[in-house]
Amino acid sequence: MLNLQMQLLARRVLAGAAIVVAPLTLAAAEKPTEKITPDQLAFFEKKIRPVLVAKCYKCHSAESEKVKGGLLLDTREGTRMGGATGHAVEPGDLKGSLLITALHGEKKDSLMPPKEKLPPEVIADFEKWVLMGAPDPRDGKTKAAKKPDLAEAKNFWSFQPVKPVAVPQPKDASWSTLAVDRFVRQKQEEKQLTPVGEADPATFLRRLHFDLVGLPPSPEQVQEFVKECGPAGRIPSAAVEKVVEKLLASAQFGERWGRHWLDVARYGESCGKERNYAFPEAWRYRDYVIASVNADKPYDQFIREQVAGDLLPAKDAGQRNEQLIATGFLAMGPKGLNEKNREAFLMEQVDEQIDVTTRAVLGLTVSCARCHDHKFDPIPTRDYYAVAGIFKSTETHFGIGGGGNNGKNRQPSTHIPLVKSYTPPPPLAKSAEGVQVASASSEKKLTPEMAAKLKKLADKNPRLTERFKQMSEAEKVEAYERIEGGGKLARTAKKAGKYPETPDAPKPVGDPSGEWAMGVLDGKAADCPIYVRGELDEKGPIIPRGFVTVLGATGPAKITPGQSGRLELARWLTSPENPLTARVMANRVWQHLFGEGIVSTPDNFGATGERPSNPELLDYLANRLVSNGWSLKQLVREIVLSRTYRLSSASDAKDFATDPDNDFLWRANQRRLDAEAIRDGILAASGRLDLTPARGSAVSEMGDAPLGKGGKTSQLTADSRHRSVYLPIVRELLPEALDLFDFAEPSLVVAAREVTTVPSQALYMLNSPFVYNNAAAMAKRFQGTSADLTERIQTAYLTALSRSPTAAESARAEAYLKAHAAERGGSPESALTTFCQALFASAEFRYVK
Amino acid sequence: MNPNRPFDCRQVQPPALTRRDLLKSVSAGFGYLAFAGLSAEAAAYQSPSLPKAPHFPARAKRVIFLAMQGGPSHLDTFDYKPLLKSDAGKPGDKGKLVAPVAEFKQRGQSGLWISDAFPKVAEHADELCLLRGMHTDIPNHPQAFVQLHTGSARFVRPSLGAWALYGLGTENQNLPGYMTIAAPIALGGAQNYGSAFLPASYQGTRIDAPPGTVAVAKKNRKNDTGMNQGIGNIHNAHLSPEAQRSQLDLVQSMNRDLLASAGANSEVEGIIESYELAFRMQTEIPKVMDMSKESAATLSAYGVGQGESDNFARQCIMARRFAEAGVRFIEVCHQGWDHHSGLKSRIASSCAAVDQPIAALLADLKQRDLLKDTLVIWGGEFGRTPGNGSADGRGHNAKGYSMWLAGAGIKPGISYGATDDHGGAAVENQTHVHDLHAIILNQLGLDHEKLTYRYAGRDFRLTDVYGSVPKAILA
Repeated sequence: MLNLQMQLLARRVLAGAAIVVAPLTLAAAEKPTEKITPDQLAFFEKKIRPVLVAKCYKCHSAESEKVKGGLLLDTREGTRMGGATGHAVEPGDLKGSLLITALHGEKKDSLMPPKEKLPPEVIADFEKWVLMGAPDPRDGKTKAAKKPDLAEAKNFWSFQPVKPVAVPQPKDASWSTLAVDRFVRQKQEEKQLTPVGEADPATFLRRLHFDLVGLPPSPEQVQEFVKECGPAGRIPSAAVEKVVEKLLASAQFGERWGRHWLDVARYGESCGKERNYAFPEAWRYRDYVIASVNADKPYDQFIREQVAGDLLPAKDAGQRNEQLIATGFLAMGPKGLNEKNREAFLMEQVDEQIDVTTRAVLGLTVSCARCHDHKFDPIPTRDYYAVAGIFKSTETHFGIGGGGNNGKNRQPSTHIPLVKSYTPPPPLAKSAEGVQVASASSEKKLTPEMAAKLKKLADKNPRLTERFKQMSEAEKVEAYERIEGGGKLARTAKKAGKYPETPDAPKPVGDPSGEWAMGVLDGKAADCPIYVRGELDEKGPIIPRGFVTVLGATGPAKITPGQSGRLELARWLTSPENPLTARVMANRVWQHLFGEGIVSTPDNFGATGERPSNPELLDYLANRLVSNGWSLKQLVREIVLSRTYRLSSASDAKDFATDPDNDFLWRANQRRLDAEAIRDGILAASGRLDLTPARGSAVSEMGDAPLGKGGKTSQLTADSRHRSVYLPIVRELLPEALDLFDFAEPSLVVAAREVTTVPSQALYMLNSPFVYNNAAAMAKRFQGTSADLTERIQTAYLTALSRSPTAAESARAEAYLKAHAAERGGSPESALTTFCQALFASAEFRYVK
Repeated sequence: MNPNRPFDCRQVQPPALTRRDLLKSVSAGFGYLAFAGLSAEAAAYQSPSLPKAPHFPARAKRVIFLAMQGGPSHLDTFDYKPLLKSDAGKPGDKGKLVAPVAEFKQRGQSGLWISDAFPKVAEHADELCLLRGMHTDIPNHPQAFVQLHTGSARFVRPSLGAWALYGLGTENQNLPGYMTIAAPIALGGAQNYGSAFLPASYQGTRIDAPPGTVAVAKKNRKNDTGMNQGIGNIHNAHLSPEAQRSQLDLVQSMNRDLLASAGANSEVEGIIESYELAFRMQTEIPKVMDMSKESAATLSAYGVGQGESDNFARQCIMARRFAEAGVRFIEVCHQGWDHHSGLKSRIASSCAAVDQPIAALLADLKQRDLLKDTLVIWGGEFGRTPGNGSADGRGHNAKGYSMWLAGAGIKPGISYGATDDHGGAAVENQTHVHDLHAIILNQLGLDHEKLTYRYAGRDFRLTDVYGSVPKAILA
């Protein structure tokens, strides 16, 4: 429970000055022992104390097993000060004494003791006591702990600036290849750990392929790499570099690493929650993420685009569209569209946007501070509402209209139109002065003849009148030119009509392309009040928009007038001085390459998160990320070329005794493949994998009815040969192949997936049509190649497990194939199919060593 | 766990070793490693669904939740309000007061007032604990139904059954531990039996209602997806059981090689075990789901083949079969309780569809000596209003309604809590949905304040910061 002083304190401070947390002692607590008359004392001892002891102390005393509501009633100080909701007793003031309110149980759910209204005469005694000044002989301090102040809080490791770190010089100088290795080796020496040897070439190549592109190497690639490593099996750095460069440059890299970001961005193609409607344009964001990773877009820019892409300058329509699509990040959270109260809906949306932004980028749970100051981290409610104001000033367009949907969507929204030509609007300062901002250009003036012609058309068609009304002058000129050029307006109109036209749809800045995206735009800019305990009907002071104080934000943000502040938020998030952004991302990269982050709670760098196992290494990586222009590929490259990444997963009894969890990386962690890699690996082995990116998504064709009714879902589960990243991710209706193997829950920010092992996975491997059909396809691949069983087995092992079988394994497989074909009455083909299926089903298939 | 993790003094309650920690670092164990005498390094695998000890001795070994979706009227069934009858027609909160459409009588030794809408369930009055002071937060179906199942309509949170499975595991490893029959596709869909941030293995397995013998009203079958009549991937279309066993033997010998190799991984042991379980499930699950061995007397007692009750009768028989087989948490769902109009006839038909099956389920559990440790829960997401615009309907009411509990250490034949004179709002011994959840966990031997899971830096509970267990209803 949060200490009551601080809660009360924060409330008071919030109500007044801008200082957020400062030591303050309440007057009541400072007063010396109050003067109490003998009569008052007698009254207290007879009427009040026994009731407090009998009815309240269980939950509200230092001896309570668990103190409820931060309220301690066992001292005068605690009683006067109250708990999370305010003063329990305000001497002489019945209305200001929450204790009295609670005894009456007037407010919803506030009756105390719970479910046991005390007799009227007892309540009357308490009222009398309060009115006589609440005389209370119980001296002594409350036992609640103190919350550190902001200066102290800033000392917490993750809030410290990332400082330059010197690369250590471990005694074992020869072991390290790169700087990364020296950090690792140094830590190992401190712990007296000795790293195991290198992985064998085939194992290493499989690891590298799955980590970088999420696919196994082909048998030819395995054989070539093993050959390059020679009979001794020593891996030459040149060979590794060659493979790494090829993988980093391949389109599959973005599909793999983009998906890591989609986990964090809680990517989903429907709104989920109570009524599940499709997000038909969500896939554009997916493709944006993949393309950004493939282009090695600097991570700071990547974040700025997602938080404020609509406010960034763009050089052409392509960039404008890309940046609009990027803001889909903020639009695609789960939404309860059945909510009647618009304000409540908007504040939920704001909360969700704060949650995803701060956890994804900062590894902090700022949304905890919505109803009370953060219980573990120095994030006051004030900071929450400073950020909330920014998102409250933003319009979210998730494109689920109110027209269809059986009338059940109470919170309709439009899409944002994409453009095919784009002229940047003039600087906002001018527009604030009332200068014309539309994309009218000098050479595109609407002549009276043009206007007359358009009017003639519009008179015949009232719908055109509406459309012309919404057009800028330049757009009208273009419309005129199109009509003159052969009536192309009709076609554009049809395209634009993909979604029902609504008057509140945002106007495109530029010429609409007929395509649409989810995303955000600035709305009416305004600061947000504190909602006390998150309740809409209890508004506190209005908080100027700003950022998180403990991360260096000082006072209100300097926001361009008329804007939401997202652009400033985006810049603040990605400023090199922000202590968390680079650390959090560097940690994520490390996590995806080693199985566990240096901070093993990748979306919680706060007090309840784990501490870094190697803080210097983390800061080194964070520095490298920033100094290499926020290039993710460069960071990945630096790590996978290290000697540490090359270690085998073999064991060592002494090391194990010291560091059983392998926090200090004396060996490689064995890792289960994630769901996508298992499915893609099966498709790759069967030769059925279609590496071309899927176009759009099956979800786009689902219409505007709630999803989930029988027939509707079959489209989603239809056989696809595309990579798993392109499967439709409908909330609550995940594809089986992904759902069974711990896919990221798309309604939640997922920084690290669970690994569970359950029989339903085994049943899937043994009985599902998908696994069987691919086993049959894989078997068929070998039928033409060689009739020699041993050769077939060799190829099958290389294809599925990226290695050759041992002699014993080969013999075992041969015996199985012969027995299956002969004794079970099967054909050699069916025997081969069941053998390939067994390879998919094996534990080795779903692990990298 | 990271050894560098300092004790955080600002946390008044430092997180104890959570079940998740236990789940991830199991020291005691069983299995191949022990037999093989391999190094202690690969901590023995423990299936996440293995039975776990409760916090304190449990009264319930399993739960059957009879979810009545739509908001069944308490005023016409379990909450006797004589004044509502005499004041009918007078103005109320939401329109003129509507008299109960069924007569109330005192039942059994306990003398509980139950209406004629539930004549057969009423015969079991002495087994029931009526919760007449129920209330919830939002009088909207989707939010309230989700809150009933997860405690929160605002956030995506694990379902009640998932928490139960996380806390206790399940007894029969050959069956899923959490089965939900005919759960609505809409109204939150899978969220109502999902695991959210808990490991996916704790989510419910959804099946359609077992196929009926008589044509039933469409509304009673509206939940059927036509997709999951059974449990996924339970049949092999290509291999005989013998051929499949020999294939599995090959898989397992490969797995054991891997386990024996250097740097063995306890998860590999888990995979080996999961295959053996899966192989057994292939024969066990169809057996449990095969109702053909039920006697004619049983089928008839539940109301199979008898018009409106046929569908729900099958669901209840299936629920009993799952209970018997050791499934931890079973939910059956009946929709269509949203009686805004046609109250009299629709109360009659909805009750007719479930009354006999539920009564037979209670009798059957008792006769098999299962009621003593099976917690049966009946109720919907909210109740109905005393007043309404028309005289033959009722609106949504989140402020007061009734549910009932039976079996598993719940005091039988009592009524707990009360609504006001017209049944509009709970005024005495109010029981919030959070309290209901606390009660359910309590009967399962779990302290709702201690059953926590760490997600995003904080320890989450099914009951959030709420919930209390009224001692008065415990036997």
